[in-house]
Amino acid sequence: MTKQDDQLIQPEKFWICSECDLLLNRCAVPDQFEAHCPRCQSTLVASKHRSIERTLALAIAGLILFFPANLFPILSLNALGLSQSETIFTSVKALYDSHLYAVSGLVLLSAIVVPLFKLLLLIYLSSCLLLHKPAPLLSWAMKSYQQMDSWGMLEIYMLGILVSIIKLVDVAEVTPGIGLYSLTGLIITTLLTSTQLDKHRFWRRIEQLERRTCNNQR
Amino acid sequence: MQQSALSRGLITCHCCNKPAHLRHEGQKCNRCGTRLHARIPNSLTYTWALLVASAAMLLPANLLPIMTFKSLGQGDPATIMQGVIQLLEHDMLWIALVVLTASIIIPLLKIVGLVILLLTVQMGWTTNVHQKMLMYRFVEWIGRWSMLDIFVVAILAAIVQLGNLASVVGNTGATAFAAAVILTMLAANSFDTRLIWDKHLELSEADT
Repeated sequence: MTKQDDQLIQPEKFWICSECDLLLNRCAVPDQFEAHCPRCQSTLVASKHRSIERTLALAIAGLILFFPANLFPILSLNALGLSQSETIFTSVKALYDSHLYAVSGLVLLSAIVVPLFKLLLLIYLSSCLLLHKPAPLLSWAMKSYQQMDSWGMLEIYMLGILVSIIKLVDVAEVTPGIGLYSLTGLIITTLLTSTQLDKHRFWRRIEQLERRTCNNQR
Repeated sequence: MQQSALSRGLITCHCCNKPAHLRHEGQKCNRCGTRLHARIPNSLTYTWALLVASAAMLLPANLLPIMTFKSLGQGDPATIMQGVIQLLEHDMLWIALVVLTASIIIPLLKIVGLVILLLTVQMGWTTNVHQKMLMYRFVEWIGRWSMLDIFVVAILAAIVQLGNLASVVGNTGATAFAAAVILTMLAANSFDTRLIWDKHLELSEADT
């Protein structure tokens, strides 16, 4: 390739499929439409209607549900007058008491810390983007959110609860608590948030805001 | 003509997907600050290493007990497979199948799937590229669900603390199992699917 060629190609005019590296001409994607790679069918762009507003609303709803889901018992067990109830945190502590320190840390991260942190990052990001307010660490927040995405495992925790209930049916009476209902709500809002988040729009807005801060500083 | 971005001198940021010139490789992305690379550096080596490590962890994960369920002072430590068998003995066929799939079948399938993908790149098995992409997406998506058994141990250990009547404690097998799951998740992340298409293009160009 000659140097002239190199200057003729403007990266902004293209899409590059992140899974198969196909080069495509960029085009506008109307609201609520998705663009897929013609070669490997991975999603290039998924444009969402009012993505920022919806993400903010869902993340706030999630944060509100996060507290009852963690503070109230998820399950209670009664047998012969003895009873015991479980919150997400007591399940972390039970592993710690069984001397499984690494695993208890892992459950703490994947069932409490990462889901909470993801919600906080989304609230910070989407409120700054919504108000067009240049703020520090925006791209760091988006980057962290993307990296944390697959390490939040609340829906798997939920499946674990179902398996546990079925395992315990013979042993004793199991009753669901307020925590379980809040956790269900939290999982639904988290899943909806990930479908409503338009990554490309978020990154574009972050870029615009950061460029503005740079210009102001000059 | 389908051409790869790299052959036109363009690369893309791993994190925010912003396109950039190849000459910026090694520098930081001007949008998100991630270091730019045409392909994930040493993708194959890392994936192999993580896969071997997770396969090695799978042995203790399946052979060591993951929890002890004591009722009325009686009960022995049980491995994952024994847990599945206990569920079957209690006529809980479906839930036994869920646990068997999540804890034993999926981790094995993930490792086999990733080995096939690695060999695809290294040996040039690029027939059915679309099938291989589907396989990768499946491996990447299903990875987290293997944590199911760890959560079951955690929940049971928290709730079944009824003194002498019934109690549950976790055992070392859980650590090995969790390590195996995490290592396969990391292995899937470090595999760069674009290498499959590079190889595919290289071979189809050699043919013509």
